[in-house]
This record gives sequence, C-alpha cells and structure tokens, in this order.
Amino acid sequence: MIIEGGIVYDPINGVLGEEMDVSIEDGRVVEESQDGEKIDARGMLVMPGGVDAHAHIAGAKVNTGRIMRPEDGRRGTEARTKLLRPSTGYTVPNCYAIGYRYARLGYTTAFEAATPILEARHTHEELEEIPIVDKGALTLFGNNWEVLECVRDGDLDKLAAFLAWGLRASRGYGVKVVNPGGGEAWGYGGNVKGIDDPVPNFDVTAREIIRYLMRANEALRLPHSVHLHTNNLGKPGNYETTLATLRAVEDIASSRDRQVLHVTHMQFSAYGGTGWRDFESKAPEIADYFNRHEQFTMDMGQLIFGSATTMTADAPLEYGNARLLKAKWSNHDIELEESSGVVPLVYGRKNPINAIQWAIGLELALLTEDPWQMIMTTDHPNGGPFVNYPEVVALLMSRAKREEELATLHDLASKRSSLPSIEREMDWNDIAIVTRAGPARILGLAEKGHLGVGADGDVSIYDINPEKVDPSKEHEEVKAALAGAKYAIKGGEVVVRDGEVVAVPQGRTYWVDASVPEDAAARVKADLVEKFAKYYSIQMSNYMVQDAYVTRPRVIGAGVI
Amino acid sequence: MRKVIIKPLREFQVPVEAERISPDVFAPLSIEEIRRLEIWEGNRKVTLSDLFMISGDDEPAPPGDNEIFLYGDFSRVKRIGEKMTSGTVVVKGDVGMHAGNGMSGGEILVEGSADDWLGREMRGGKITVSGDAGEYVGAGYRGESCGMRGGEILVKGSVGDYLGEHLCGGTITVGGDAGDFPGIANRGGVIVIGGNAHLPGAEMASGTITVRGRARVLPSFQRLETVEIDGIPFDKFLGDLVDGGKGELFAASVEDGGR
Repeated sequence: MIIEGGIVYDPINGVLGEEMDVSIEDGRVVEESQDGEKIDARGMLVMPGGVDAHAHIAGAKVNTGRIMRPEDGRRGTEARTKLLRPSTGYTVPNCYAIGYRYARLGYTTAFEAATPILEARHTHEELEEIPIVDKGALTLFGNNWEVLECVRDGDLDKLAAFLAWGLRASRGYGVKVVNPGGGEAWGYGGNVKGIDDPVPNFDVTAREIIRYLMRANEALRLPHSVHLHTNNLGKPGNYETTLATLRAVEDIASSRDRQVLHVTHMQFSAYGGTGWRDFESKAPEIADYFNRHEQFTMDMGQLIFGSATTMTADAPLEYGNARLLKAKWSNHDIELEESSGVVPLVYGRKNPINAIQWAIGLELALLTEDPWQMIMTTDHPNGGPFVNYPEVVALLMSRAKREEELATLHDLASKRSSLPSIEREMDWNDIAIVTRAGPARILGLAEKGHLGVGADGDVSIYDINPEKVDPSKEHEEVKAALAGAKYAIKGGEVVVRDGEVVAVPQGRTYWVDASVPEDAAARVKADLVEKFAKYYSIQMSNYMVQDAYVTRPRVIGAGVI
Repeated sequence: MRKVIIKPLREFQVPVEAERISPDVFAPLSIEEIRRLEIWEGNRKVTLSDLFMISGDDEPAPPGDNEIFLYGDFSRVKRIGEKMTSGTVVVKGDVGMHAGNGMSGGEILVEGSADDWLGREMRGGKITVSGDAGEYVGAGYRGESCGMRGGEILVKGSVGDYLGEHLCGGTITVGGDAGDFPGIANRGGVIVIGGNAHLPGAEMASGTITVRGRARVLPSFQRLETVEIDGIPFDKFLGDLVDGGKGELFAASVEDGGR
C-alpha cells in the first residue's frame, strides 16, 4: 500500500509537515511498496496511528461501572450492522464500541491503566473482545503485600523477581502504582496522608514503596517506567505531595532511553488551597518543576464537562467522592493486592471546582514546554470519555477556543488558574507528539508512534489540510476532522474510511516477560506458596493468566539476565 | 383539529414498539405516509399499516392540532406518545408499557388502564388514566438519578409499586391505592394518593407525599405534628432520615397505630 502525497507529521523521524508518500507492506512501513494499492492523501494530514497510554477500558472495575450505570448504557447505542456488533454506552462503552470509537478517532493502540493481578484474567477477557486496536494492561503493585514486605525487608532482588512474576502472572506490560500504601490502609478504613505516613502493619511509607518499585523497575530494564497515581490525589493542596514525591526520586536514574517515572492524570494532582473554598490551580508550579526535570513525564487527565464514571484503585478517594456528591458508590477489596472504587458523576461548567479542574489540565499541557514530557489523556472515563479527544486537541491548538469556553464557565476558572494568560497554541507537530509519538516512546513501544521503516503500518489520515487551515481560528474544523478519520490504517489494512469502520481485524496484546535470577525467583515462589495457602481465596495454580486468554500476544523481553 | 384514527387489525402476541404513534411524528405526514411508518413487532420490522387500520384527515397539521384516537386493545403496544411535545392521544381501551415516555407537552387520555412505566421521565404535559396503572408510574430509567421532572399524571384507579421513583418534579395524583414504596427517592415532586400506601417515601430527599388513606410508615420518618388538609387531620412526618432527607409525608391514618 502507498499513501500518496499526504502532509506527514512524524516527529520521531523528524518529519514536520512534509508532503511525502508512506509505503506499507506485510503490516509494516517499508521503503517502497510493490502491491499497487494506493490511497490518495493529497492535501490531508497524515500521522502515525494514535496511542492512548492511559485509559480504563477493560477489567473488573470497568464492568462494575457498566453494571452500576444502565443509564449510561443507553447513551451511545448503535445498532449492529453486517460488519459491526452493537455499541452501547458513553462513559463505559461495551468492548466493541471501545474498539470502533478508537479507530474512528485514528487511534490504533490503547493501554488499560490499572489491573490487579487477581483480576487480570477478566481484563484479558475484555481486551480480547476489543476489536481493531493493539492493547496492553498495566499491572497494579503499589499495595501488594509481597511488595510491601520486600520494601520493609530492603530486598530489592526479591522485589524485582516479584515484579517479573507479577507481570507474567497478569500478562501485564508495566508497573502501575496507585496511592501507594493508601489502598492497604483502606482495608482498615484509613488512608495515608503523604509520602511519609506509615502503612499499617508493614512499617513502610509511600516514599519507600515508590523508590523501591522504581529501582526494581529499572533493574529489570522494563520498557515502561513506573506509572504513578500519586498519594492524596483529588484533594486540595495535593501539589505539595506531588512535588515531594518527585523530589524524593530525583536521584534515581533510568536504565533505558526514556523517563524514569510517569506521573499519570496530573490534573488530579496539581491542586492548591487548604480546602474546597480556596481551591486553586497549582499547575504552573508543577509544570515549572517538569521544565527543570526532564526525567519525568505526565499525562493530562483532562476534564470533560458532562457525564463521567470515576474508577480507580484509590478506594478511599472514591469513598470521599461518593460522600461529597451523594453519588452511587462501589467499593471493592482485592485481597492482598489492592482496593478499588467506582463513582459516577457529572462535571458541570458552572461548578467552580470542576471549572478550575478543567483549566488545570490545559495549563499543565501548555505550560510544560517539552511536549515529549506530556501525553494528552482524559484518564478515560475518570476525567471524561476518550471520544472527546478531538475537543481537547482543539483546545490545545486554539487560544480563541479556550476563551470561548472560559466565557461559559464559572468565573473562578479564570481567577484561580493562569489559563487566561497562556498564549501558547500547539502546532500539528506538538499534537503528533502528545497523541502518538510521545505516548509510544513513554510506553517503550519501539514500533509504534512513528512511520519510519520497520514501524507498524498504523496510520491515521484526517481530511484537513494543515497548510490551509489555521487551527487557531478554525478550531471547529480541527475538531470535526479529528472526530472521524478519513482513513485509519491498522497493520496495513484500512479499518476506517470516511469516519466509518470498514474492517474489524483483531489487534495484539503487549505484555512484558522479564527474566530474573533463579534464586530470587525461588524466594518469591516460597513466599507466594505461603500467602496462597494462608490468605488468598483461590489456589496459586488457578492464579496465573493462561495463554488461552491472550490469543495474539506480542511479548516484549526484559530482565536482568 | 386534525383527527387520525388507529385500530389494531389483530391481537398482538408479542410487544409492538410504537414510539412513532405520536402527534409530533404524524404532524407533517399524510395518512398514506403514516401507514408506511416503520415500527417493530418483536424482532420484525413492519409498517404501521401491517398491524393497524389507519384513517382520518389526510391534510398535515402542526403537532398541536393533531388528535390521535386509538380504538381497541393497545395493551401490548409500547411507547405510545414517546417524547411528544403537543397534541392529543386518546386511547379508547388499555395502553401498553412506557406510554408517554419523556413527553414534554400535550395530553394523553387513557380510558382504560395503563401498563408499567407510564410517563417515565416525563417533563411536561398531562396524562390521565381512567382505570389503573402498573409499576413505576413517572419513574426514571434504571440507574437514572431523575424520573419525571415536570407535568402531571392523574390515575383515577390504583397503581403498582414504585410510584414516582426518583421523582424530580411535577405532580402525580392517584385516586386509589399505591403499592410498595410510592415516592421512593423523591427529589422534589408532589404525590397525592387517595387510598392506602405501603412504605411511602423511602430514601426521599425532598418533595411531598400525601396519603389520604392508611399508610405503613417507615421507622426512619420522624412524626412532627397533626395538620389539617381540607378539614381532615393528617399526621405529618419528616424523612427519610436514613438519607438526611427533608421530605414531607402526610398520612390520614397510620398503620400499627403507634407511629
């Protein structure tokens, strides 16, 4: 296949809006294609397929959201067709809709952001049903008893061996840490209030948990860094916790050509104020820190007005949400591993807190100077559903659009944030970085996010001419063009044409197989045998996700030997 | 006033989804075009004329000038008058589930009885039922935080369980009895029950429920005082205190005497 004459943005290969052809053969980008299939992309924007590095799209908590929200299911229903299965839902779509909607946006890769090992089989059952996109799942480690014990005992080798085992057991891709220590404390109705608060019964702190997990992550040379949801997330004044966390790990070096820590949905961790009354943005402080520390990356967690379903392993946070909003609440204890919660809510334009939160996400993205440190996300469906990505891109590219929106919000959004004074407007190269190249690099996906020879043949083509349309003024066109790709190509196959899904191939599932020394693995095994005998509700032999649950694996090797 | 008359051609064995029987849909259409409207009978797509005999004034008219008369048994015909904004639907018989779903104006008159989910998520207009109505009158869709938000429902007979579940506005008047949990999770609507009621107002946050007959009152309601309404003494309660509710419940007679 040859994609002819498009205006290509491929930041990893230094291509900044050049008119050129892209050739694909056998699913990969090649120098020259012989098969003769041609796609006319003249006057159109061509980018690598989009990569979502953080979304909650599969597993137990997503399904809990669906069960709790029949009223969400009826929003966004689309009848089946000869090709497509039926779609339902807006914030918690069914599996089919997730694949179709990503493809329509020109996204070809999406990673589930939080899976406890114990529930990983469920995650993979759903990932298997999500069509088109390639996917993977990050595995939760931040409140796991084995982790807490390794940290307490200062046993880094055993911790690394356990991470390797846990990734294999869950067929997971990376190390996710959510409110470290807080999830365990929630088992006793408590939480940790900062990085130096002791975790009940384990005599460790979040500071130690994060540091040890990062060191083990780097010892294993995993493709992705530790992926952190900070302590005190969602609380006024939490930017101090966020900055304290980052300062506490400044000395740790990355073992690969990538960040050493990814702080996720930063919007929820950049709050000032002593309470909700004097709640304010501290995004400038956070962005300033990132501008001076290139070893860290973040994603926006942009808020979208309207319906959302918050779902997280941060169970005490969800308890707070449910009480504050008198909303529906699901709470879940995941044995020795995590806790979790789900709360549906509605973000309102005239709600001062929500309006400031909206501004914070945009401030973070625009004030962080290096786009390679930033990923565009909505923390789907916590900040809002991923189908709103075109809206976020339009906001990043147009100050006029931001001003139009600000005029419809509670005026505290302007008074308690710096957004009105921010002049920066992202260009198409920035957008290609924050939606594709950056997330691929941050996840460590070598064949994603670019169009160099050997890259996966994942391409999105949008019916908008970057040389003629001024995104600053014509932001409506930008939003419309990105909402339905002219073409989305996945592995060399056209999957979307004119905004409609035309083919439904099945994507692959990435997971990381890390090797560790046998003696460390044996010590982990001895611990686990005891834990399963004493505490778990299931047998160890039934615990691992079997290969039958990951039918199209893409296994990435890592490890110490 | 334009009149359209609809009669079933036969008895229906499976439900018919007839959200297109509505003044707003009929308004711009001729009789022949109305006959060709597509609806579902079970899992089969059919036209209105496959199931019904349709006659009346051929000339299109604004929705408010449309009067639809339904003669016969419509008890298996669902969603009649869904989302209507004006005009009138008169049912000379029983009507099926979900009649008047989300309607915002106009009037539905049912001369027989109505099935479940009458006036679900209604926003305005009026529904009058001469007979009885089923469960979930004026309620919300499963999981939704608001049911009926405005308008008026009058049922002259009795109703089933969960009358006005998650009522956020509007008025529901029932001549006869209500089943279990009328006004559950009421958030600001007004309910008047002519007969008896069982456990009214559970989880109510605000709004008013009046039971002119006898009520079994939940223990989470606080008895305040005796008040007179239309010369009849009522016990006034505050609740539901389980949820810190500030709803008002009036009952002419309280079951178990003590409360």
